[in-house]
Amino acid sequence: MVGQGVSRKRKLIWFWLRLVSFVMLAVLLLSYANYVLTPKHDYGICSMMNLYRQPKDSIDVLSVGTSLVYAGINTNVLWAEYGIASYNLCSAEQPFWVSYYTIKEALKTQRPKLILLDAKPSTYTRDYSKRGRIILSTFGIRGLDNRIGAIFACVEKPRDAIGFILGLPEVHSNYARLQDNDFILPPDNGGRGADWKGYIEADAVERFQRPSLVWNNVRRNMNEREEEYARKIFDLAKQEGIPLVLIGLPNPDYANDHMYYNALWSLAEEHGILGINYNDPSLRFGLRYSSDFSDWQHLNVKGGIIFSRKLGADLTKWFALPDRRGDKKYASYDACMEQWLNRHPHFESSGWENHPLPWFVPPPDYP
Amino acid sequence: MSILSLEYLLLAAGVVITYYLLPLKLRWIALLVGSTAFLVFSGWQSIAHLSAVALIMWGGALLLTKHKSRWLLSLLLLLDLGSMAFLKSYPPLSGAQLILPVGLSYFSFQSAGYLIDVYRCKAEAQKNPLKAWLFIGYFPQLAQGPISTIKELGGQLCVGNRFEPDSFVTGFQLLLWGYFKKMVVADRLVATTEALLKGGDLPGWFILGGVILFTIRLYMDFSGGMDVVRGTSRMMGIELPENFRRPFFSQSVAEYWRRWHITLGAWFRSYLLYPIAVSRAGIALGKSASKVFGRKTGLALPGALATLLVFLLIGVWHAAKWNAVIYGAYFGLVMAASLLLDPVWRSVRKALNLSSKGLMMFVRLVRTWGLILIAQYFAFTLYPDQGFSLMKRTFQNWSFDDFAAQMKAVMPTLEWIIVGLGCLLVLGVDLLCERKIDVGGKLSKTNVLVRWPVLFFLILAIAVFGIYGAGYDSTAFLYTQF
Repeated sequence: MVGQGVSRKRKLIWFWLRLVSFVMLAVLLLSYANYVLTPKHDYGICSMMNLYRQPKDSIDVLSVGTSLVYAGINTNVLWAEYGIASYNLCSAEQPFWVSYYTIKEALKTQRPKLILLDAKPSTYTRDYSKRGRIILSTFGIRGLDNRIGAIFACVEKPRDAIGFILGLPEVHSNYARLQDNDFILPPDNGGRGADWKGYIEADAVERFQRPSLVWNNVRRNMNEREEEYARKIFDLAKQEGIPLVLIGLPNPDYANDHMYYNALWSLAEEHGILGINYNDPSLRFGLRYSSDFSDWQHLNVKGGIIFSRKLGADLTKWFALPDRRGDKKYASYDACMEQWLNRHPHFESSGWENHPLPWFVPPPDYP
Repeated sequence: MSILSLEYLLLAAGVVITYYLLPLKLRWIALLVGSTAFLVFSGWQSIAHLSAVALIMWGGALLLTKHKSRWLLSLLLLLDLGSMAFLKSYPPLSGAQLILPVGLSYFSFQSAGYLIDVYRCKAEAQKNPLKAWLFIGYFPQLAQGPISTIKELGGQLCVGNRFEPDSFVTGFQLLLWGYFKKMVVADRLVATTEALLKGGDLPGWFILGGVILFTIRLYMDFSGGMDVVRGTSRMMGIELPENFRRPFFSQSVAEYWRRWHITLGAWFRSYLLYPIAVSRAGIALGKSASKVFGRKTGLALPGALATLLVFLLIGVWHAAKWNAVIYGAYFGLVMAASLLLDPVWRSVRKALNLSSKGLMMFVRLVRTWGLILIAQYFAFTLYPDQGFSLMKRTFQNWSFDDFAAQMKAVMPTLEWIIVGLGCLLVLGVDLLCERKIDVGGKLSKTNVLVRWPVLFFLILAIAVFGIYGAGYDSTAFLYTQF
């Protein structure tokens, strides 16, 4: 009997050990499947995922927001012309309630000298994110606290959050759309590599006219949740002692946004936050609405370069941002610029000849 | 609560862990608490109705032990089955919106069977009301059965089981296999049924294919659900009766019904068919019929009529609508005819010297499939006209010109490949089981290097290719509604 008891005990211990190993392997497999099946579009999660691959405390300017930021702020221009080490932490249509958690997550590894916050979400009227890609963009957040927080902030009913927290229930049906680079771990950011700083080129030209509007202070109430999280972001920046600047990126559709921006600017004033709206007609810096936009919202490559030059000049004028060029710790910025130029020897966007860049050598066949 | 939901998985995991943490004598309490939680999540209607039925069953059984009265039994059965019949038939007939208690039919039949068994002195009345409640409220079987007898289940629930790695592993394997059948195959085939119901100018081959695929879907759906239920239960060492035994390998419709929804068939046989067939009226009818039709056919007549009645009731049990009546009546007629004509077939087979093996097996298999498929036209359609119309159109327009386009309109090629491979896998396993090979048992005893990849494959297949998540109604088990 004693022998049988010992044998059973030994059998059970062996069984539990195997069970624990099995569960761990299954979790690993499912996590990898979740990673593979999660869409890694340009407008999605890549900039958050890649943030973790940046050297610790290597970002001086953290630009947070929507696609307007990732298409408009060319980190290579800021680096090449001003030595500003900046990173675009963005996803398409990112509301403030996602930005809040991405900033919190970024501050775990980075200590930026300045945060630029996109003003565009002030125009969003939704209380929650109906569009899956907004919630999916939170999949890049590794910290469970911030990831869960962002997901709960996005969904209409708390019950809906569980699928996004687990991941697979929401992304598993993507198997038909998988591509080779979906399997690469860590992600290759659409072939851009780990040195990429979050700039995504919008390579098209669409003709627009400068928005026609009366530049006044009339406000239109922001969505309450956007306002709530804008305040939270302002408080967070104050709490962390990091200057935050609201930024209005130029866009041809601005006439529809103006009153919301006014509301946000007044909110920012309450918190002692500075805002720069580059849609202000008095700020002329050579941007052409007829050639510098890729669509009704986004600057194209040429527009991005013009705008980023202006932004770089303003930032260096108002903030004591160090010039990091030549510093070995910041070599990844040189690598990023080099890769960008190699990947895109020329763009469809017109007008390069009017804006020669010291670091840009047009290819011989460039028109 | 659906057995496909995350809530169910969490609840089942919690119950399994708690079950084994409690001392042997108290383990039934874990089942009781888990079942209560399952019902609470399923709505107050479920717990209220089940508790009322349990109370009637518990008190009724104790009364029956003291006063063995047929009138009392009839009254108790009327309360039990009558309330089920009312709840199931009132909403469709009146158009009223009622939320049906989860597992209504299953616990009603189970409690009725228990009362009859106590009345027949085949079982002892349970004195503890909570244990009586647990017998019909045991949570895994509430989703879609099986319908167990007190002899099969009562003891197992109340006597705590020691943890046995073999039961735990085979139970887990069965659970995974069930999810695979349901989520990867059955739910993927929903599109084929929808394509049929959408109507339009469908070629004959498409309709026939759709009906075959509906039949496969029904099997994968129901048997997959049963595997999940039995697997959950087996992980705690509780063995629920088998409800499906590879019905599509049947050689006759009678055999099909002995392999399909086994516990429902057994319930009707034990508590309705046999009592009618061997009742005084049944025996008298048999004697009278023997004088007219001959001894063999005459004696078979009461059984044939009882079979017809039973299948009509099974049809109506599925739904209070004409399609269900046709479905039941059709199977009843086929089964009754087969009983009555059995002597004729026997003599024909003997005269022609037909073997029961080889080619004849295949012929009988095809014949059985044909007879089953006819009924399926009324299983998924909404009205008899729709079923008859599809049946008629099956024999028209067998042009394959638009084959690829028709298939792609139902679902993309990749989905067809997944469903095809899934069906092949299930067929392969069923073939092995048909040859009396215990696939689950063998797998659980194989080397980890073989077993784990198989289990990981199933887990990944379910997680990636399963139909679930956003936009999916996880309550959509075909048999949950019964």
